[in-house]
Order: sequence, then C-alpha cells, then structure tokens
Amino acid sequence: MIPKRFEYFCPTSLQEAISLLGTYGEEAKLLAGGQSLLSLLKLRVADPKYLIDLGRIAELAYIREPGACDAAARTDGPEGEIAIGALTTYAAIKGSRLLQGRCPLLPQTAAVVGDVQVRNRGTLGGSLAHADPAGDMPAAVLALRAELKAVGPSGERWIRAEEFFLGTFATALRPDEILTEIRVPVLKAEKAVYLKAARRPSDFALVGVAVCLKLGRDQACEEVAIGVTGVTEKPYRATGVEGRLRGRRLEPKAIEDAASAITLGVEVSESIHASQGYRSHLARVYASRALQAAR
Amino acid sequence: MLNLDELFVTRKWVGKPVRRDQDIRFIRGEATYVDDLEMECGHVAFLRSIYAHARIKRIDTSKAAALSGVLAVVTGEDVARETRPIVPRAITRPATQYVMAVEKVRYVGEPLVAVVAEDRYLAEDALELIDVEYEPLRPLVEIEDALREDAPLIFEEAGSNELLHEKLEHGNIEAAYREADLFVKERFRLHRYSSTPLENWAIIAKHEKGDDAFVVWANDQQPGRSTTNVCNMLGIPNSGLRLIVPDSGGGFGIKLAIWPYIVILCLLARRTDRAVKWVQTRREHLLAGTHAPDARVEIELALRRDGRILGLSIKDIQNDGSFIHTAGIYGLIKFATMVGCYDIGATRAELVSVVTNKGPTVQNRGVGKPTMIFVLERMVDIAARRVGLDPAEMRFRNFVQPGQMPYSTPSGEIYESGNYPECLRKALSLSGYEEFRKRKEEMREQGRYLGIGMSASIEPGTSNLGYYYTHRGLPEYMGNAEGAIVGVDYDGNVNVLLGSVDEGQGHATTTAQVVADMLGIDPGRVSMSTHLDSLISPFLGHSGCYSNKFNDVDLGAVIMATKKVRDKMLRIASHALGVEAGELTFRNGEICWAKDERRSIAFKEIATVAYKKILLLPEGMEPGLKEIAYYKNPAAKPPSKANFNVQLTHSNSVHMATVEVDVDTGAVTIVKYVIVHDCGTQINPGIVEGMAIGSTVHGIGAVLYEEFVYDENGQLLSTSFMDYLKPLAVGLPRFEVAHVESPCPTTLLGTKAVGEGGAIGSLAALANAVEDALAPFGVKVTSLPITPEKVVRAVRETGEI
Ligand SMILES: Cc1cc2nc3c(=O)[nH]c(=O)nc-3n(C[C@H](O)[C@H](O)[C@H](O)COP(=O)(O)OP(=O)(O)OC[C@H]3O[C@@H](n4cnc5c(N)ncnc54)[C@H](O)[C@@H]3O)c2cc1C
Repeated sequence: MIPKRFEYFCPTSLQEAISLLGTYGEEAKLLAGGQSLLSLLKLRVADPKYLIDLGRIAELAYIREPGACDAAARTDGPEGEIAIGALTTYAAIKGSRLLQGRCPLLPQTAAVVGDVQVRNRGTLGGSLAHADPAGDMPAAVLALRAELKAVGPSGERWIRAEEFFLGTFATALRPDEILTEIRVPVLKAEKAVYLKAARRPSDFALVGVAVCLKLGRDQACEEVAIGVTGVTEKPYRATGVEGRLRGRRLEPKAIEDAASAITLGVEVSESIHASQGYRSHLARVYASRALQAAR
Repeated sequence: MLNLDELFVTRKWVGKPVRRDQDIRFIRGEATYVDDLEMECGHVAFLRSIYAHARIKRIDTSKAAALSGVLAVVTGEDVARETRPIVPRAITRPATQYVMAVEKVRYVGEPLVAVVAEDRYLAEDALELIDVEYEPLRPLVEIEDALREDAPLIFEEAGSNELLHEKLEHGNIEAAYREADLFVKERFRLHRYSSTPLENWAIIAKHEKGDDAFVVWANDQQPGRSTTNVCNMLGIPNSGLRLIVPDSGGGFGIKLAIWPYIVILCLLARRTDRAVKWVQTRREHLLAGTHAPDARVEIELALRRDGRILGLSIKDIQNDGSFIHTAGIYGLIKFATMVGCYDIGATRAELVSVVTNKGPTVQNRGVGKPTMIFVLERMVDIAARRVGLDPAEMRFRNFVQPGQMPYSTPSGEIYESGNYPECLRKALSLSGYEEFRKRKEEMREQGRYLGIGMSASIEPGTSNLGYYYTHRGLPEYMGNAEGAIVGVDYDGNVNVLLGSVDEGQGHATTTAQVVADMLGIDPGRVSMSTHLDSLISPFLGHSGCYSNKFNDVDLGAVIMATKKVRDKMLRIASHALGVEAGELTFRNGEICWAKDERRSIAFKEIATVAYKKILLLPEGMEPGLKEIAYYKNPAAKPPSKANFNVQLTHSNSVHMATVEVDVDTGAVTIVKYVIVHDCGTQINPGIVEGMAIGSTVHGIGAVLYEEFVYDENGQLLSTSFMDYLKPLAVGLPRFEVAHVESPCPTTLLGTKAVGEGGAIGSLAALANAVEDALAPFGVKVTSLPITPEKVVRAVRETGEI
C-alpha cells in the first residue's frame, strides 16, 4: 500500500463529517470499509488530498424497523419497511435476524459478496456509493425498490434506487452529500432470489440477477422486479423482462422467453473473463435460473 | 541407497508424519522475512516501461532528482556502464541484455529507472516526475507475431527472434515410423501462468566501504548461482559479496530470477552509500516477476494397431518473453522426459525458443514438464480412442514395466525405480472407475455431464545442471550436490546448517527426523537454521532449493556430515568408557556399552570433552564436534548429446479427476480427485501429502483459472489477483491421496522428488475429464486454460477448447 500523501480525518458525528466534506469538497474522499477505496489508493488511481473516515460514526451503523408513523410518513407500503444505516457491514446484514425474517434478499446477497474479510469490513453504503458496475448489493436494492437517504449541508433528500445508479462509479449523490440510510420494504408475499455467476466464489459478478416476485392466482406473475449487475456500465432494472412476465403464468417457456430480454437496450460489457457474447448468454441463463428459483 | 537398518540407530521418526514444530514461527507471524529486518535504509522504486516494444529516445530525470528526500536516480544506461551483460544459459544466438532497459524496452514492466528515496512513498512520488520519450516499435506478443517474415527483431544482434532452435533424435525414429500402422497428430496451445508465492521478492543491499564489499539480504532461491551471477555482473571478486537469505515465503522457481535486482540494489547501495531496500509489489510481481512461458506444441505418435507406441515426435515452440538468461531451458527439460511413463523406443524433438515482448520467464514449478505431460497424456487418450482401447488399457500396454527398471529412455534419462501399472491400478480402484462410467451414462439422461480423466506422469527431480550444455561448450555447472554442517553443541543437542534454503517445505522437520534416527535422540533436540549466509553456510554453485533436490543431495550431505560427527562421538566415548567403539550403541542421547548399558556417557559429556576438557580427547584427535560434508548424486552423467540425463530422480504419479460440466454456463466442478503417488521412501508422509495436494492445486489453477492475458499491444491485463485468478480453498474437491513406494536405488534413503508432481499430472487429468464429459458434443481439448467461456463456445459452436 503505497498511496500518495493525504490528510486523514476521523469525525465522530455525521454533522462533523458533512462539514469536513463541505470544507474540502472535491479534493476529499469518504472512507467507509475501504474495500474498494483502498485498492484505488494503493494503485494511485485515486489520490484524494483529504480522507474522511466514516468508521467512527456509530450513528450510521444499524438495522431497525422504524415506528409505524415514521414509516407512514414516507411510504404507503402496507407491510412496513426496514432502515439500514449506510455503515452497516455485509457481515451484519448477513447475520441480521430481522432481515433474514423480513427481507431475506439482503442477507442472501450480502453472503455472496467477496470473502469473509471483505464482508467484515465492507459496508452497504460504501457498496452503493461506489457503484461498481458489478457490485452485488446494487442488484438487490434495485429489485427491492429501496430508497436511499442522502444528507448534505442543505439537509436530506431521498433517492429511489432506480434513479441512484448513473454509470460506472457514478451515482446521483452530490459531491457534498453522504449516503446515510437505505430503506427497504418488507415484502412478505414476495419471493426473492439473488443468483450470481462468478469465476470463483469470492469474485465480482460476471452477471448477477436479483428477483423479487409476487405470484397471484394460478401462479401468474402479479408483481416482479429484477435488478441486474455485472452486465453493463451500471446496475439496472430489467424492465423488459419484467414487462414480459407480468400477468403471465411462469411456465418454463414463458421464463425462457422473458429472460431473453435481459440485455435488451443495454450495451453489454466485455472483460478478460467474459466477452460480450458470453456475458449476454450468461445473463439469459441466470435470469432464467433466478426466475425458476423464485417461482 | 544405504542399508537403513545400519544407518539408523532407531526407526522411530523417519516414515512418520511428524508435526512441523520447527515451523511454528510462520503460523505465529514470528518469521523473519527480508521486509521484517529493521535497518536504516533508503527505499527503492522502479519506473517501468509502459510499452511492450519501443526505443528509448530520452529520459529526463531532473525533476525527480530534485525532489526533496530523493537520494539517487539511476537509469539503465547508468547501470550498463557499471555492469556486464546477462549471460544466457541455453540460447545459441547472441543477445545482449542488461539488468535494466538500455536503448530499448522489450516488455511492459521492464525496469527503466531506479529511484532511491528516504521512504518508499517519496520514491513512488519521484517516479511520477520522470519524463520518458519513447519511439514505439511493433509489439510482438504471440509466437506467430515474432516468427512472421517481416517481424522486427527484438534483439537485432541475434539476427532472428528464434534464439534457440535445436533438433534432437534418439533411438531409431525412422524404423519406428516404418513399423507403425498409424499416426496420431495434434497441436496444442499452452498459456502463461505462474506460481505467485505469498511473499514477493525483497532485497536489502549494503556496501561496506572499508572492504569494498556488499552484504545483501534477499529471499533468493538459488544462492549458489546468484552469488556467481552477481559477482560476475558487478565485476567483483567472490569475496566482495555476502548473501544472506532469511525466511522466505514461497519460491516455486520464481525466486530463481531475483539476482538481476540484487545487482541493481548493490549499485544503488554503492552510489548512495546507504543500505537500500526494495520490496516488490504484487503488481510488479505479476508484470515483471517472471512467468512460465506459453507454448505451442505439435506432437505425433507412431503406433501399432494394438496400441503400442513405437515412436514420438514433438515440435515445441516456447514463448520466452524477454529474459535471455533462462530462455530455452524449458524445451530441454521437456525433452528429457518426453516419453513420460512409457516404453517408447525412439524420439524426435525440435525445440524452439522465441523471444517476444511478453514478460520474462523463469523456471516455474515443474519447468516444462507440465506442458510435456499435458500434451503426451492428451495424446494417449486421443490415440486410445483411435485404436479403440480404454484409456487405462492404452496406458497399461505402453507403461515401462517394473521389471525394466532401471529404464533408460532413448536419450539416456534413467528411471531408477517405479511401478507404474500398480499406481494406475490403485487409482482406478480408488476412483471407482467402472461404477463411475455407469453413473455417467445415467446422469447424461438427466442432462448432466460428468466425465473422468486420468494421467500418468513422471516427476523428475534433482537437476543434473548443465543439461543446457549442448550449445555453449562445457557448461558452468555439472551434476548436482549440496553441502551441510552438522554439529553437536555444548548441551549435546544437534544443529544443522545447509547450503540450501527453505521456502516453506518443512526442511527443518524432515532433517530433524533423519538426524534423530541416526543418533537415537528426539527430533526436538535437532535444530536447523533454514537461513543461509554465504559466508558461513556450506556452499556450492548448486546450493539452493530447486528441482526437488532436497530429499536427495541436501539430505545426503546431512547424512554424511552426521555420520562423521557420529564416528567422532563414538571415538570419544570409546576412549572415555574404555570400550571398543564396535561394542558401543546409541541410546536416548547417550552412548553406552551394549553389554552393560550402565556404562554410558551422555552427548553432553562427550561435547564437554570435545569443546572444553580437550585434554581428555583421544591421542591426536582434533577438538570440536562439528563436521562438514558435501554430497553429490552419483547417477549424473557428464554432458554429451548422444546420451545424457537431465534429472537424477524420477518419481511418478497417476491422477484421476472426476468433473461435472454445466454446459449452459461452462462451469467445471471437480467432483472427486484421486492422486496415487510414488516418491520412493517417504520421510514425512504428512509433508508428502501436503506437497502432492498443494502442487495439484497449482495445476488446477493452471487449468481452470490462472492466465496472464496480454492484449495485442503487449499490455498485460491480469495485473492483480482480481484478474489473475488463483484457485481458492472454497471450490476445491477433497483429495484422496495414496502411495506406492518404490525406493530409489541412487539416493541414500531411497527418496525421490516430491513437490512438483501435482503441477505436472493434473493438467491432462482435468482436460481429459472435461473432454470425457463433453463427449456427447464431440468437444476436443487442445488448449488451456479451460474457461467457462471457452466451454460454452465449444459446446455451442466450435467443438474445440
Ligand atoms: C477481495 C475483494 C473482493 C470483493 N468482492 C466483491 C463481490 O463479490 N461483490 C461486490 O459487490 N463487491 C465486492 N468487493 C467490493 C466490496 O463490496 C466493497 O466493500 C464495496 O464496493 C465498497 O464498500 P466499502 O464500505 O468498503 O467502501 P469504501 O471502499 O470505503 O468506499 C468506496 C467508495 O464509496 C464512497 N463512500 C463510502 N461510503 C459512503 C457513504 N456513506 N456516502 C457516500 N460515499 C461513500 C467512498 O468515498 C468511495 O469512493 C470486493 C472487494 C475486495 C477487496
């Protein structure tokens, strides 16, 4: 680890962090679990002058079910929602009883991120803010239709997951904002699955598909949301697939058919581990398999 | 082989899986690696070429030199003025290369400028201030690029990009071809991969001005050769260099090539009058820290209709990148055991070493044998299909039989012992071969594709250095040997010093077992420093840890030195007890009279006489209780083109892999893996098993994951462990390891090589298994690695991996 010189700050409150960020602006970088940022510093790809470590801000690490009125203030979701602090680690999400019971997609996804060390340090907020085009959590929050809270000098605002990811390493966060909380709805009636294709168990996804599916009468698809990662420059909702599924009975043929729309309208990326053609093929295979598994 | 009942006083330790207590410091994080040495140092960083092939027009280092905290900035030109060029070992054409780039860069990552600064951060900052003007030349990345008519020359003075082109024929190949009923021919492509030890290269160099001598600490794998190379290149006498090797975190051959950087560090130390330190980063390691060459191999078998192989021809072209020191040696090593486990009477080999603009190559675990066994064992499967035999039967028909041992291959390689059919029989039974074939059919009905593949391989060890003699007259080194010092200290405990080093193999434990049984003591009383100091350690040009020589010449030297000590102890005891030496025996750290054990003298007492009460020594005996011995393998033949042996012991193994292939995603899962291994006498079966499995995992990495991928400009795309994929513990099968023991007649204990074997035999076993699984699709495996993408493409389109 031979980064360029930087000045290090270690605020203990959100307020302090926001004011530091306000002072140093674009020359500063926030540090959460460091599982992406440290490699960039090491390779000198990122060379911030100021590093603001969020690690000591205890108020940003939690998983809880907010009171009913708090929830009602923002959403009309009948089954409530769960709030997760941005600094919550993958390990905490994976081990959370609350999430396992009321939003199993998140623990299931967190469990396949990297390896134990990465999961012990990496955070949900860091993963989303970093917006790696192959990150796992973005696919899950897309399928869950989560909402993300950004806090800046001028107050807070909520961003829908769908509007959060703008491109490779690019999000709707402004340079002076900190992502503080992620809210996911409790979806008891929906089945959810995350499936990931990777060269080795702890690798980034070549393709990752998260599915939330609600079946109605006759096994027909009542509601479906699909988050896809690894396939293109950013994680996205596979609206083409969703459209072909709604109202249809999920027979193998229908699934195959819908899955073939997974890369519709996106420029499929290429790397030494997967060409465009192979990645597109994998995306179709994984979309089918994820739907089969959620059925 | 010695009579072990005579050699050993007890039979308590050799042959047991003794726990490696000597190595507990590694587990506790208490080892001393080069980077752990506390010293006031200047820190070194290298500016490396961003082009694969370019002329260096101008280097401006003025801004870097002016940065506060920078102690020296040195270019390749500066280095060339103070050093001699690298001496190649095998190539026949002239090629001039220095330890840093001069005039031209020949691969991405080649060191251009070295900076010394007060700390590494500053040194790296300084690199960013250096301005290099390049004139890009056409990059020659693949073998085909370098051999094209209009290809530019990477070394103009060579007149060709082929630096070695050798044809060797042994046995009557014409006759074999005349007698044959059919021929099977195939081309294979092997990729670039490497070992990537946990610890990268690390060096500290210091210049003792008063003596004009260098002291160097480095995790060097072959100090015997490195000291020679470094002194030659710096033009200093042997006495001008003291090389110290502390603990080392893995070698696998890759640390044989560290000496060019020792040369640079010495120059920097002299120039700055400071100790200087360089610790290679992982990126540097992957980029420029040496690989195994990629290769194209054409192979042809001349067969009788009944499956007997009469003749074997290969044309082997290896992509040696741009490091001329070791270019060409892979081919020569491949050639030596090209017949594998088979009785093949005639061989023909055409060996070509091509320079390209890929990174440097050096000996990597197995050195060419993985490639050779891969192509041979693929061919045996292909040929079996042609003649309508089961692959196992095909092998049984061609094996060298136990009764033929010692067996000489057409070129003179001597297989000293082994029972190849027995290994295969054992492997067939452990893998449940017959039942599996039935299960495979059932699974296919369900759309699941399972396959089983086998390979039989030779695992040669103890290089007869000088096999690259063929071209340059008599080689600098011949045969193989090692030195050891064994001493009994004041307390009557034993300590051992070797000329070799240890990169994690557990030498201290193995040595303690042997010495303990030779002296009738507990291994806990035997300590061995695995650190090396060229000023103190017994030393030969061969000294180092490579080609699995430890079990042979290293232990040979330990045994010979222990015998000397033991004889001396007996003479002192005999004198002290007034008993004939012949009537004395060793018992629990004492020497006693066989007829009455109460008449005894403890080791500590003997040591007291030897070191302190020296007037009690027998008439004329030297004081002290420490002996040095050198031991050379007796089977080495001197260089001759007609008849030579490249390696001096020959272990063998059979690997049997069962895989399942997901034809939709291309994922290959190893369901079961059986290794039957014969390395002669086992000293520590625990270590042997670890080696057999560890080396196999290395091969699994090579087949399924690891590849240095270059783009058409010669840029390496796999420069981190995110892209250069090592196999992980998760996702590996359980290994079943079984043994056959055919003691080696030409080593003292009957031992043979262990450590490379799995890296050799696993490639073909896995490839054969994948081909078997994909038989319904008619897929043929002719290249590695077997990536999921290649599988899918083969199944759906090309029919070939
Ligand atoms: C070996 C390894 C394997 C991995 N495998 C996977 C994998 O399989 N799947 C996967 O998805 N990921 C993987 N990762 C990446 C990992 O998930 C990272 O943890 C994650 O991308 C970043 O989270 P972090 O908390 O570590 O953030 P950091 O690395 O500290 O920060 C990342 C970026 O986000 C910004 N940031 C962090 N927190 C906030 C915030 N609250 N508000 C605004 N900006 C913020 C930082 O400024 C920085 O730019 C792997 C990483 C490693 C090292």
